[in-house]
Amino acid sequence: MATPGTFRGRICYFIADEARAEISGPTIRAGSDWDDGATEFAMLIELNGVTKTYGKVTALSGLSVTLPEGSIGLLGPNGAGKTTMIRSLLGLIALDAGSGRVLGMDIRTSRMDIRQSVGFVPEDECLFPAVMGVQFVAYAGELVGMQSRDALQRAHEVLDYVGLGEARYRRVESYSTGMKQRIKIASAIVHDPRLLILDEPTNGMDPAGREEILALARDLSRAKGMSLVFSSHLLPDVEAVCEDVVVLGRGRLLAQGRIDTLKQPHDRQFEVRVKGDQFAFAGRLAARGIDAAPTDDHLLVQLPEGTGTAVLWETADQTGEQLRALRPRRSTLEEIFLSALAEQD
Amino acid sequence: MPILDQGYQHWNGQLRGHAWRWLTITRQGARAQLKNRWVWLMIIGACLPALILSGFLVLWGLFEQKSRVLTPLLFLFQGLPDELRAGPRGYRTTFWTLAFNQFLDIQLFFAMALVLLVGPELISQDLRFNAMPLYFARPVRRIDYFAGKLGVIAAYLGAIMVVPVLLAFGIGFAFSLDPLVFRDTWRVLVASLAYGAVVVLSAGTLMLAISSLSRNSRFVGAIWIGLWVASGVASTVLNQTIHKDWCPLLSYTANLTRMRDAMLDSQTSRDKVTALFQAGQNQLRQGARPNPFQRRSGRVNFSVGPPQPPAPPTAGANSTRNARGPWQTPSYPWQWSAAVLAGLGVLSAWILATRVRSLDRLR
Repeated sequence: MATPGTFRGRICYFIADEARAEISGPTIRAGSDWDDGATEFAMLIELNGVTKTYGKVTALSGLSVTLPEGSIGLLGPNGAGKTTMIRSLLGLIALDAGSGRVLGMDIRTSRMDIRQSVGFVPEDECLFPAVMGVQFVAYAGELVGMQSRDALQRAHEVLDYVGLGEARYRRVESYSTGMKQRIKIASAIVHDPRLLILDEPTNGMDPAGREEILALARDLSRAKGMSLVFSSHLLPDVEAVCEDVVVLGRGRLLAQGRIDTLKQPHDRQFEVRVKGDQFAFAGRLAARGIDAAPTDDHLLVQLPEGTGTAVLWETADQTGEQLRALRPRRSTLEEIFLSALAEQD
Repeated sequence: MPILDQGYQHWNGQLRGHAWRWLTITRQGARAQLKNRWVWLMIIGACLPALILSGFLVLWGLFEQKSRVLTPLLFLFQGLPDELRAGPRGYRTTFWTLAFNQFLDIQLFFAMALVLLVGPELISQDLRFNAMPLYFARPVRRIDYFAGKLGVIAAYLGAIMVVPVLLAFGIGFAFSLDPLVFRDTWRVLVASLAYGAVVVLSAGTLMLAISSLSRNSRFVGAIWIGLWVASGVASTVLNQTIHKDWCPLLSYTANLTRMRDAMLDSQTSRDKVTALFQAGQNQLRQGARPNPFQRRSGRVNFSVGPPQPPAPPTAGANSTRNARGPWQTPSYPWQWSAAVLAGLGVLSAWILATRVRSLDRLR
């Protein structure tokens, strides 16, 4: 069962079962650097019934997903099929069944063209050995087909952009974890791809480095018009970077849509912050038959059916309490994620 | 320092097609190896035999023309058989063949040493630093990767085996002042180049396979030395103890040498030279030595001073099957060596396919 919603020209779905979201109609991408005013009808990524097994292990099971341009978070527990999905997008695996397109190119027949058009940042620590930073990035550029001179010039630019300008003449083996991650991003964007796929880009990073990577990804997506597929276990990271999210479980699509949409407000649940004693206020609400659970610095209030927020104001008035905040509770991404996994089970 | 200060510019350049992607890998690998001064030393060392070969071909060209330039070097020619001095052009192919054969024989040592210096890191380092996802997530197929890495070895071996052959051939051709030299010796050139290709393909794939076996390039180097030296020693020891035809097959370099002999047909040239020198010696013994060179305008009389009978090379007829000198080609068919090298090639390909896997797998 799917619940569609439309936001800024994009169609979003929350899928509660394995039924595929049939998305029809064009997505209009606007505001990007490739936007020349013409309407573009191709979706960023389309997968139809993609199945991939490794022996007895089914990595992807009839996965169908259609993703618009923008920044897309790819969520799922270990073994959910995230990496296999990314590899199928890059045309790195032979599919057992299904078909798909990335940037309008067939993932079965245009593998090399896809890899040339897409930037990919692998999860693992991986380096071209025995080269300096600038050589590393230039080499990556040449491998996707850039001329040597262009690649070298562009390498300097992107190294400046990712903040490795001063380390460009150091051997990459001497880089810290964060620097290695950044140089991988630099090498992935050296040819200015339309789509950048980041596989667990913040793994093993300290908070400051992680924040830098997130800022970088955000900037690429929002300011530079580059579409992102951001795979991560860390929900806050996805939330910080992405507008859309795809939740996978056991090789199937569990949920998909805009994060704003998925984090839907609850009709009867409110977050209430009071100036004084929130426990006392909760007690007063309880006396009126209203559930109120202290959570962090606020109360999570569940209003009974047929009751409006006026009852909260009345209670505050009676107790002489000040309401500092009153807002409908929204689902967190974690709840969405866990809910999707629970429905899968 | 906060990032993103420098901004980001889009790039609208043209990307090339996929056909020559391997060349990028080759270029990068070859460039990286040039930082190794031992590689430079080896290349410089390998130039010396090439200079000697070129020098010989220059001398031969002048000898054919009986040039005055050779006057200070007449002593070199005093002991030559009369038949040779009378008509060196008739022995052109023979001596060119032997010269190139000898050159390639020496270069094989440099080739093995150069592969030892250049090859071990080619794949082992990529495995150690997990570079495969960086390659294969780009428009690089495994065959491109292997071809690119093989190209690194080919570039260096080509520099010491193929390029000198071409240059020496050109120099020899130029100094012969005879367009017919190409007709007489093109087979030598083709065979030498073909042999260079065999060495590149065989040693290259073998080294790549070994390099893929370990993440430690020192182990890879040790395996290569073992294959090169230990197989040669084992072959020699077995040859001297059990006296079997197949013993040389155990030596990797002996197989390459056998292929070279077959390609250049060097045994025919050796036999011809042996017969020539034996005839000359017999003539000297009989005291009848005609003087074919008459002083002519612009020509040098080579019959100056008493000639010394040269010792003929080890006669093939006198050597036993198992007490074979370097002058004689082994008696076993060259196809055996070809089969051994082909088998090693297949094994190498299998190792590479197994060790350097695509990303189409579970992690």
